[in-house]
Amino acid sequence: MLYEFRYLSPRTLPDLLATLAEHAADGQVLAGGTDLLPNIRNGIRKPAFVIDSKLYPGAADLRWSESEGLHIGPAATISDVMRNKTARELFPTLCACAHELASHQVRNRATVAGNVVNASPCSDMAPALLCLGARAIVERAGGDRRELAFAGFFAGVKKTVLRPGEYLSGIVVPASAAKAKGRYLKLKRIAGHDLGIVGVLMTEKDGVLRFGVSSAAPTPVLVETVARKDGPEEAVRKVLASVSPIDDVRSTKAYREHMIGVYVRRLLEEVR
Amino acid sequence: MYDSLRPEELSQVGKSPECADDVEKLCGTATYVSDMELPGMLHAQVKKSPHARARITRIDASKALAMDGVRAVVTGEELDYRLGLYVVDKRILAKGEVRHHGEAVAAVAADTIEIARAAVEAIVVDYEPLPPVLHHMDALKADAPLVHPDLGGYSYMAAAFTPMPGTNIANHTKLRKGDVEKGFAESAWVVEREYSCPSVQHVPMETHVAIVQWGKSDRVTIWTSAQSPFTVRNLFCHAFGLPHNDVRVHIPYVGGGFGGKAGIGVEPLAAVLSRKAGGRPVKFRASREEEFSLLPCRSALTYRLKTGVSAEGKILAQEMTLYWDSGAYADYAVNVTRASGYSASGPYEIPAAKVDSYTIYTNKPYGTAYRGFGHVEFHWAIERHMELIASAIGMDPLEFRLRNALKPGSRTLTGEEITEHTGNVRKCIETAAKAVSYGGLTKEEAERERLTGWKIGKGVAALQKAPAMPSYTSTAVIVKMNEDGTVAVNLALTDYGQGTYTSIRQIAAERLGFPLDKVKVSFECDTDKDPYDWQTVASKGLLLSGNATILACEDLLKNAYEVAAQALKANPCDLGHDGDKVYLKHHPAKSVSFASMAVGLALSNGNGIGGPLIGVGRYIAQGLTFLDKETGEGSPALDWTFGAHGMVVEVHPETGEYRVLKIASVYDVGKAINPEIVRGQAIGGMLQGLGTAICEGYIYDKEGRLLNPSFTDNKIPTAKDLPLVIECYVVETPQIDGPYGARGVGEHSMISVAPALGNAIQQAVGAQLMHMPMRFEDVWRAIGRKEAVDNWITKSPVGSCRSAPELRNRE
Amino acid sequence: MRIRLSVNGQVYARDVEEHRTLLRFLREDLGLPGTKEGCGMGECGACTVIYNGRAVNACMVLAVEADGATIETIEGEAKGDSLSDIQAAFERNHAVQCGFCTPGMVMSVKELLRENPKPDDDEIKEAIEGNFCRCTGYTQIIEAVRDLTGRSGEKGGLEHV
Repeated sequence: MLYEFRYLSPRTLPDLLATLAEHAADGQVLAGGTDLLPNIRNGIRKPAFVIDSKLYPGAADLRWSESEGLHIGPAATISDVMRNKTARELFPTLCACAHELASHQVRNRATVAGNVVNASPCSDMAPALLCLGARAIVERAGGDRRELAFAGFFAGVKKTVLRPGEYLSGIVVPASAAKAKGRYLKLKRIAGHDLGIVGVLMTEKDGVLRFGVSSAAPTPVLVETVARKDGPEEAVRKVLASVSPIDDVRSTKAYREHMIGVYVRRLLEEVR
Repeated sequence: MYDSLRPEELSQVGKSPECADDVEKLCGTATYVSDMELPGMLHAQVKKSPHARARITRIDASKALAMDGVRAVVTGEELDYRLGLYVVDKRILAKGEVRHHGEAVAAVAADTIEIARAAVEAIVVDYEPLPPVLHHMDALKADAPLVHPDLGGYSYMAAAFTPMPGTNIANHTKLRKGDVEKGFAESAWVVEREYSCPSVQHVPMETHVAIVQWGKSDRVTIWTSAQSPFTVRNLFCHAFGLPHNDVRVHIPYVGGGFGGKAGIGVEPLAAVLSRKAGGRPVKFRASREEEFSLLPCRSALTYRLKTGVSAEGKILAQEMTLYWDSGAYADYAVNVTRASGYSASGPYEIPAAKVDSYTIYTNKPYGTAYRGFGHVEFHWAIERHMELIASAIGMDPLEFRLRNALKPGSRTLTGEEITEHTGNVRKCIETAAKAVSYGGLTKEEAERERLTGWKIGKGVAALQKAPAMPSYTSTAVIVKMNEDGTVAVNLALTDYGQGTYTSIRQIAAERLGFPLDKVKVSFECDTDKDPYDWQTVASKGLLLSGNATILACEDLLKNAYEVAAQALKANPCDLGHDGDKVYLKHHPAKSVSFASMAVGLALSNGNGIGGPLIGVGRYIAQGLTFLDKETGEGSPALDWTFGAHGMVVEVHPETGEYRVLKIASVYDVGKAINPEIVRGQAIGGMLQGLGTAICEGYIYDKEGRLLNPSFTDNKIPTAKDLPLVIECYVVETPQIDGPYGARGVGEHSMISVAPALGNAIQQAVGAQLMHMPMRFEDVWRAIGRKEAVDNWITKSPVGSCRSAPELRNRE
Repeated sequence: MRIRLSVNGQVYARDVEEHRTLLRFLREDLGLPGTKEGCGMGECGACTVIYNGRAVNACMVLAVEADGATIETIEGEAKGDSLSDIQAAFERNHAVQCGFCTPGMVMSVKELLRENPKPDDDEIKEAIEGNFCRCTGYTQIIEAVRDLTGRSGEKGGLEHV
C-alpha cells in the first residue's frame, strides 16, 4: 500500500516540462514505476504529485538513423530495447546489459531513462551507456535543452547532475558505437534475478577499449584508460584504481576487488 | 495399517491422480484469508519497536485516536494475556519492555489501511534503550543481559521442558546414553568441530493474515491463514480464558506455511482490536517486511560435535552440544531443541552419547517451527562432521557413513530399537551415491571439467526424522455418505499445498473400493464442524490421518453392511460391495445400492431402517513415551523416515562460484501413495534446502536491526537456480502401522541438502565450510584459507556469515 | 480520477484514488482477487497480469496509469466450463501446490507462449524467473510448459528402488 499522492498526466512534452517545473519541489516523474512506486511504498520518497511521463507522442520511440544513432525515448522500456531489431543487431552490448536487469516483468515496465535517472550504483544500463559513449538529452520548460555525455551524468549515490525541473527527454547511442563488441559480467548471489555484487562491461571498437563498472563505487564508473598493450595485470590495476567498492550487506570490498580483477581478465580474453 | 497388498492389487494407492483443489487455484477462485473481506471489516496496522531491547517509558496514542476512521487503538499496557505453546512467555503486544527490533508495541484498527498506517505513525512511543544481547553464545555469558528476567515465574510444560531462570536459557534438554568418557578413552581418533547456521525465513508466498470478529458474549470467530485450526483455538482459549465452544476457527486455502503458521500467530492481535472496536471484524495482514521481522523465523544454531572413532572407523562415543538461538521468545524453539536433542546424531549408531541442547533467548525476532524442526540445521553439522571425520581418519566418506548407519538391531539415541520395518537408511545412501556415480568423475564430467576449468566434486549426506509431537497425538476423520452414494471426508488436518488431501482421497477410495471421483475431501477447515486434529506439522499427517481415514471407511462400510444385511435378510459376512452397491456374495443380483442407504433405507412398505451413513475413525499414536529428563531415554518416534542426497557440484577455483550439476534424493517413504505428489515434495523441499544452503540468512547490525527484511537482500531460489539434473527415488520398506505402509516425507526433502553441497564443494576444491549459507564469497575465502567474515558490515559483530574456529583435532 | 479499461474482455469504468495500485484496484474494486500480493515491490511476481500484451507486476502499476489499457488476469483464463490448455497442463503435471503463486505463474506462461510457442528450458526459466514459488521447486511447472509445447515426453518421475 502506498502513501497518498496525486497523479498528473500531461499529454504533450511541453506540458510535461511545464508540470515538472511547477512541481520541481513536490513532484516525481513516473516512468516505469519500478523504482518510484517501491520507494513510495517504503516511505523513502513522499512526493505529493507523480507526473506520468509516458503519455506524449513519441515518448517511447526507438529510432535509428545512420547520422544520429539510436534514439531511445524516455518511456522506452528495457524490453522494448531488447525486442528492437536495430538495437539487437547494432548494439548487442546494450541488449546484453538490459537482459541482466531484474526480471522479465520488471523489464516490461522499467524504462532505460528511468534506470539511469534513478542513478543507482548498481544500474545495469549505465555501464552500457557509458561504454558506448551515449549522450543524455536534457530539456527544461522554457526551451532549455542540453546534451551531455553519460560520463558526466552521474553525481553520486542515486544522484544525477539534473537540475530541478530538468527532464531526460532522450538518450542517444551514437552510430559510431554500432557493432561495438562487448560482454557484461554481473556477479549475483543467485542465478536468478538479483542486484549485482559487481558488474563489469567491456566494449571494444576500432581498437578502443572501455570498461563500465557497476556496484563498485557511488556511481557507475567508466574506465577509458586501458589499452590492449597494457596486458591483463595493468588493466586490472587501472580498473581497480578507478573504483572504490565497499563492504555492505551483499559482499565485501575484498571480494568485489577480486572479482573485478577476475572479470577484467576474463573479458580481455573473451571480447575479441 | 499395512495389508501386504501387491501393487497390482491396489487400484488407487500408488497412482498419481491430479489434486482436486488445483482447479480453484488455477482459476483464481480459491479464497485465501488475504482475499477475504467481511461487512464492516477494519484494517489493522502495528507500531513497531526501533530498538532491539528497551523499556517503554511512554505511549501517547491520542493523535491516533482522534483521527477520522480510527476505530480502535490498543497498546500492551492494557492487555494482560500471555501466550506460549510450551513456555508461556509472550505478550500480544510488548508490555513494559521490547525484546526485539520490529516487535509490535501498539496496534490500530481503522476503516482503511491508509488511515491505519497514518494513525500508527501518529502514535508516539518513548523508549529507554538498553544494551541488547544479540548472539546466542554471548547470551550464555555470565554478564549477559537477561531477555526474560521473570523466566522463573512463567508457566511451562514441565513434562518435557526445563527452563533455567536467572539465565537466558529457556530450555535444556539432556540425553545420556552409555559412558562417553570411556568411549573417548577407547577411541583411536577424537574429532571435535563446531558448525553454525543463521536464522532464515519460511517465506510463504501468502504472508500471515487473520480476520477476527469478537462477537457479543465473547463469542469469537477467526479466519486465519494457518496450519492447525484446533491449536489456534486451543491456545486462543487458554490465553483469553474462554470456553472452547465460544471460539470458532476457519481455515480456507492457505498460501504456504512451512511451519511458520503451525501454531498461533496474529490472531490474538486482530482479536483484541476487534473487541476494542465493538466487535467489528479486524483484518491484520503482515507485509512482506513484517513477515521477515515481526513474524517468527527459524532459530539459528551453533552445534559443537565431538566424536570418538575406533581404529576400524566405528563411532564409539559422541558428545553433542546444540546452542539454539530462539530469539526473544521460546515459542516452538524449546521443542525444536528437545526434538533435535533426541535425533541429534543423524541416522547413525552411537553406542555412547551425551547430548545437551539449549534454547537460548536473544533480542532478535523469535524462532518457530520450520520445515524439518531443527533437523535441517543440525544435519548441516552432522553430515559435514561425518565428512570431516572421514578425512581426518583417512576413510572414504561414503564408506564411513555406511559403516555407521543405523540398521536392524541398532539402538537410537533414546534407546529405541531399529527393526527391518523402520526404514533402510543404508539403501538410501547407496542409491544416492550410485545415482551420482560417487567416487569418481564420469567421462562426461571429466570432459566438462577439462573444458570449463571448473572443478567437479561430489558429496553424499544422509538424514533422518521422526515426527516431533506429543507421545499421545491423535486425530479423527469423518466420512459421510451423500444421498447419491458418493462420500465426503472431513478432517482438520490442513492441506496448504503438500497434497495430503489427495493422498487421503486415494486412501479412502482404496479402502471403500470406490472410484476416485466418488470421494471428496472437503477442503476448508472449521473447528465447529471438523473432528479434531492436533496440527499439520511434523510429517505425521499422512500416517495418523491416513489411518484414521481407513478406520472411518471401515466404520462406514460396517454401518452400510448392517443396513444391507437387514434389507437382504443376510449375514453381514456373506455380503460384498462395489462402488455402487452392497450385494449378497452368493446371489450378486440381490443387492441394495449405497445411494438408497445413504441417509436411511426405506423398505418397500415404507419402514425406515438405518440412518445417515457416517464413518468415524480415530487414531492415536501408539506406544510412544515421554523422554526421561535426565537420560533422554524413551520412545518418542511415531516412525522414522530416512533418506539421503547425492550431489554433483562444479566450483570455480578462482572465484568460489559454483553450480549444482546434479542432485539425487532418496527417501524411504514406506509407500508412495501418490508418486507425483511425493516428487513435488521432494523437489520443492530440495530447492528450499538449496536456498538455505546457498543464499538465505538473516543479517543484523550491532543494534539488532535486520538488514535484509525484504526480497531485495533476502534472496530465495528462482527457476533459474535449479540444479541441471534432478532425480528422485523412493525406497519402500513398508511402515507396518502406516496406511498402506506409508510414512511421511513432507519435511525430509529439505534436510541434508546443505551438507551434501558442502561435502561436494569440499571434494571439488578443498574448501572447508563450517557455516551455511555457503555464498560464493564464503567458498572463495575458504579456498584461500582467508579469514571467514562474520558479516559484511564493518563495525558490526553479528551476522549470518560466521565460521566458528576449529576447536580440536587430535590424530 | 475516472478510468476506463478492459479486463478479461469486459470493460469497466470506475472512479479510483490516484495512489491506488492496479493490483489493489483489480482485487478490491473489480472483485477479481485471483491476482495476489506477495511482496508489493515487484520482486515475487505473485501479482503478474498481462497488461497491453506484456506480463507486468500489477503492484508497480497505478490504476490510473491503466486508463485505456487491456488487461488479462487469471479469472479470464478458463474458457467457460473448461480449463484452458495452460491450466489443464498445470493440473496434469502437478504444477500447483499451495496455489498462491499460480495465477501469476499462469500469466507469465501465457505471455511466453504467445511470443514463443516452442520455448526451450532456458526460455521457460527466464519467463518465470520473476515468479517465486516456495512450494514446487519449479520443476513440475517447467514440465507443464513442456507438456504444452510438444515436449510431454520430457518428464521426470519418481523411481522406486
